[in-house]
Amino acid sequence: MTKALLFKDIDEPGLTTLEVYKRRGGYESLRKALAMTPEQVLVELEASGLRGRGGAGFAMGKKVSFLPKGAIDKYLVCNADESEPGTFKDRELMQKSPHTLIEGIIIASYAAGANRSFIYIRGEYSRQADILDVALSEAREAGLVGEDILGSGHSLSLIVHRGAGAYICGEETGLLDSLEGKRGNPRLKPPFPANQGLYQGPTLINNVETLATVPTIIGMGGAEYAKLGTETSKGTKLVSISGHVQRPGNYEIELGIPAREIIYGLAGGPPEGRQVKCWFPGGSSSPVLLADDLDLPYDFDSMAKAGSMLGSGAIIVVDDSTPIIDVALKVARFYRHESCGKCTPCREGTNWTVKLLERIDRGDATPMDIEIIASECENIIGNCLCVLGDAMAMPIGSMIVKFREEFEAHLEATRARSDLGAIHA
Amino acid sequence: MPRPTPKTITFTIDGREVQAPENSMLVDAAKLGDVEIPVFCYEPKLGNPVGACRMCLVEIEGIPKLQTGCSTPVKDGMVVHTQSPRVKQAQEGVVEFLLLNHPLDCPVCDKGGECPLQDISFGWGAGTSRFVEEKRHFVKPVELSDHIAIDRERCIMCYRCVRYSQEISEDYELVIQERGAHSYIATFDGRPYDAPFSGNIIELCPVGALTSQPYRFKARPWDIEGSGTICTLCPSQCNVTLSVRDERVMRVLAREHPDVDDGWLCDRGRFAYPKLEEDRVTEPLLRDGGELRPVSWERALDEAASRLRRAGTRTGALAGGGTTNEEGLALARLMRDALGSPHIDSRPAGKLPLELHRALAEPSLQAKVPDLEFAHAVLILDCDPIADAPILDLRLRKGARRHGVKIVRAGREQLLDDAQRAALLEQLRSAGPAQGTSTDAEQAALEVVVLWHERLSAGSDGERAVRALLDLAATLGLSRIDGAGLLEITTHANGRGLREAGALPNAGPELSDVETQGLDAPGIAQALTDGELTALYLLDVDPTESDRERWVGAMERATSVIAHAPFLTEALREHSDVVFPAEAYPEKEGTVTHPDGRPQRVRRAVRHLGEVRDERQVLEELAARVTAAVRA
Amino acid sequence: MSDRVHQQIHARAREESLLNARVCVRTPKTNAIPPEVPPELREEIERHMALYPDTRSAALPALAAAQRLHGWCSPEAIEQVATVMGLTPAYLAAVASFYDMLETESIGRHDVYVCTNISCSLRGADRLYEAVRDAAGDDPDFNVRPFECLGACDIAPMASVDGVYVGPLTPDDVPRLLDDIRTGRPVLADKQLATRLVADPNANSQAFPAHPIEESAP
Repeated sequence: MTKALLFKDIDEPGLTTLEVYKRRGGYESLRKALAMTPEQVLVELEASGLRGRGGAGFAMGKKVSFLPKGAIDKYLVCNADESEPGTFKDRELMQKSPHTLIEGIIIASYAAGANRSFIYIRGEYSRQADILDVALSEAREAGLVGEDILGSGHSLSLIVHRGAGAYICGEETGLLDSLEGKRGNPRLKPPFPANQGLYQGPTLINNVETLATVPTIIGMGGAEYAKLGTETSKGTKLVSISGHVQRPGNYEIELGIPAREIIYGLAGGPPEGRQVKCWFPGGSSSPVLLADDLDLPYDFDSMAKAGSMLGSGAIIVVDDSTPIIDVALKVARFYRHESCGKCTPCREGTNWTVKLLERIDRGDATPMDIEIIASECENIIGNCLCVLGDAMAMPIGSMIVKFREEFEAHLEATRARSDLGAIHA
Repeated sequence: MPRPTPKTITFTIDGREVQAPENSMLVDAAKLGDVEIPVFCYEPKLGNPVGACRMCLVEIEGIPKLQTGCSTPVKDGMVVHTQSPRVKQAQEGVVEFLLLNHPLDCPVCDKGGECPLQDISFGWGAGTSRFVEEKRHFVKPVELSDHIAIDRERCIMCYRCVRYSQEISEDYELVIQERGAHSYIATFDGRPYDAPFSGNIIELCPVGALTSQPYRFKARPWDIEGSGTICTLCPSQCNVTLSVRDERVMRVLAREHPDVDDGWLCDRGRFAYPKLEEDRVTEPLLRDGGELRPVSWERALDEAASRLRRAGTRTGALAGGGTTNEEGLALARLMRDALGSPHIDSRPAGKLPLELHRALAEPSLQAKVPDLEFAHAVLILDCDPIADAPILDLRLRKGARRHGVKIVRAGREQLLDDAQRAALLEQLRSAGPAQGTSTDAEQAALEVVVLWHERLSAGSDGERAVRALLDLAATLGLSRIDGAGLLEITTHANGRGLREAGALPNAGPELSDVETQGLDAPGIAQALTDGELTALYLLDVDPTESDRERWVGAMERATSVIAHAPFLTEALREHSDVVFPAEAYPEKEGTVTHPDGRPQRVRRAVRHLGEVRDERQVLEELAARVTAAVRA
Repeated sequence: MSDRVHQQIHARAREESLLNARVCVRTPKTNAIPPEVPPELREEIERHMALYPDTRSAALPALAAAQRLHGWCSPEAIEQVATVMGLTPAYLAAVASFYDMLETESIGRHDVYVCTNISCSLRGADRLYEAVRDAAGDDPDFNVRPFECLGACDIAPMASVDGVYVGPLTPDDVPRLLDDIRTGRPVLADKQLATRLVADPNANSQAFPAHPIEESAP
């Protein structure tokens, strides 16, 4: 069921060291890439059909090609701010195979013509950042990072930049502001980072897993990589699976296998006697799917067609022991906490949603309040400056639609116990 | 630098075709078709749009999501809807979100009645709220500074004030603390927001979160009338609106003039008004037994006329402060025609040869205020804009930040020393359009504005400095280049107008020749000290403020000091014999001339305080009395 | 150049009294004297500043360094960073208050972040957090906080102890956890994420309680 490319040697002892990494064929793809022209590398990346692994699923090769050509300062930023609840795949990669990421960054920077690069890693991952720093200094010493890499004429500086705890810095423009030493508020787009990103310069931003896949693609060839997966979702994907499953963890799968194989086959499904109530296919910001959806192929398009998204590839399973209101409150509180506050619908909407849900939970609500949640979530979706508002409103909206009866039943049950219920009874 | 020359395009909004400049923002372009798109955070003066409040969401055909009109540049053929059900729902949604935590205290809010949030709630909101929880609470109101109160519960987080602090005044003192629904506007560690232009945030605030402390609970919008005039407290001559209630100025607001003040006002201009009423001279005063005592106008005029008549040609006169062009002319006539004295001046710096005045006033050499923003380089010469003409400081920052204007500062020494002057020229030239490869044609296009202060021309080598300045201008070809030139900050608010009115020892109106050359300001002081002059007429000026040493003795020696003054300064209290109460600028009617040559109209907003009279009429009355007595 | 000039203009504006005393009263200036910066902190901040094309990028690492030294981003700590970086304290305070890991109030020396986000909560994190909070009590050495997803749902419910991830935890682990911190031993050595294999499916197996998310009192 699994297909190991990124995870091929993942538990090899000492893989974090340059020596072991090289022994396992590390940096061969870099040599191969540097022998090609940047354009040829780009052709391979485009041929691979690799889509961004951070959440949006945008074609990686195309993203590189958006950068303007010519001798201007260009930047490559690796988004290692993995903060979407349920997601922990990038952590695994950085912790166990930091050189894969570094190699991927060097190759991508070569294709993009970028000479300065940064890994923006969330502050909580301090041990992983330390591991990256050690690997990076080894790579620098070996002439893999720095001036005139392996005699290719390509130069690259790479800095590991630690965040300080803010989910919104995973949003690419929030990340850029944070990396510039500001509050991590998302920027208005356009301009897009490819034109005006870090320090106003053209900037390529990619997720850890995306960049870590680059050496594999160069190694096996873009066309070969593209044979894996489905027509529109090519290759393998790291899936973080957590919640009510017996074997939570990271699994590398070929895109397009049925979700059931991941949730039950790999992760063992919920414990004995319990059933899948709902599942988030791509982190807590993805609208929930139901047990009926378990046989859908796990790929970008199938998840979108089902009204959700593959997102970061983080599956969170909720079984039938948990009331949906608890799940909704957890999700809403998280996004309220993480809203940067810059735009109105997200700042006020996430706060209001929490208050409404709390009222439902307490038994101070009426059925009208369920309507209000649905309606104010609708007023959030699509109207915010960035996608954080949607990230709360969409899953909450999906829970209201799919578990309406449970919300109403909960409301009635709690109302009956409260004064409000007594008055209205 | 090239200034934007937009092309006109046609787009459709709510079914009507509208012509607008290409790439102007949709909210601005919509106005040209009489369509209003509501905004809170959008304020073009603050730089690029931020798209934060989401009030301006509109539907654009061909784009699936609603777009913010504040940040969408209009394109030819664009089809925009601002009244569709989708847009209406989004707008009502945003108004509802904004009002969730906004207190319903409009009846006691200073902003009530002139509040964009009120207006937009009525215009675009649903009229009801579905929010029944407890609203967010903050301690309120808190003093943000002596001038400004902040009510954080009313704040809708449009960031205008914060952007102002960061993008306009560039002090970075006003910031957002915390995140998300907890965020609020604050300073570091609760310290006062202490900045020279802080008051502008009151006007920027689209709700009643930032209010003026002195205006607090003083009036409601329906109690006041707005009266447009010019603030003549400094040579910036910012355009202002005075809010007047019962013949009293209740507050001062900026009245945007893009070519003068860009819509900003300094704190002195904004908050000085209560002082314009306090401690005023409100009736004529006459020295009697060593003390200044109130007398009738008749008595004061008689006394002044007789003293002036006695002194005759041995009278000196100075004009300054907010003296208008008309008053300057009247003073010159009193001196030259009635008293036959040529000793009149409005420049504390001292006399310059007339040919230099004329050379400096050469029309082709005049830079305008907006040129500061678009020049390749601005040379700030012997001048400190924030002290000399504060509002220009903001203009210089804007030019440097938005258009990359190179700012070079230099003093008189650098101008007078050959080697240093050459280095200065090099520095200015390096800001040119094509560095290193400049051909003659490109060099010719180097736009330099020299912002200099009158003090450059003071002292023994003042004349040499002005000649060097004119040389520099000639070397850079400033008179040939559009957008380049000289801009002189005068000591007095209407310094330029007074000169042109003939308040100079060596020039009549329009810098015309005069028969007899008079003494300049330092010369008058000397002559008074030496006893060669016996009377001094001071029109809204206390010369000890600019040159105490020279003038204290001179005033002491003068037989007669006749002052036209709104306030009794120490020197005037000590040394004047007759004091006429002068008008403060809100009481004045007349014209002034901006340092860049722009005529501006000062209009009366409130009636004269006490027995204050029109200054020009007083000067003419004096002239008449002096002349009549001579004839008699 | 122009930037520097503007800074100078600005500096002068603050020094000189723009506002004529006759017409306007100004608020008294506070803290005009720049604070002393400990040399090791200055050195560390300057090292970070040198890494970036724009020195302001060093704001987060600089604040983190000041926090390590002072225990939290106190006004004093922020003023020291501001002095070295040439930024206003207000700017840096705004930045610090944006990020969860930068503390704007005095806290204990040891960070114990207990993840209470969805995946951990589904496996008993709220109860775990309460257990840690109660066991730590008012010991000023601990900074126990419920935290958003720490990216280790594979070892849910989990905690990060001064950056070391441990899990899966039960309330029974709490006494040993705090004891390890107090005595300076590696925290729950057998439960550290670092020791966990990814590709061993059995490594993920664990029993977990069958109970709904329990909301803990904030």
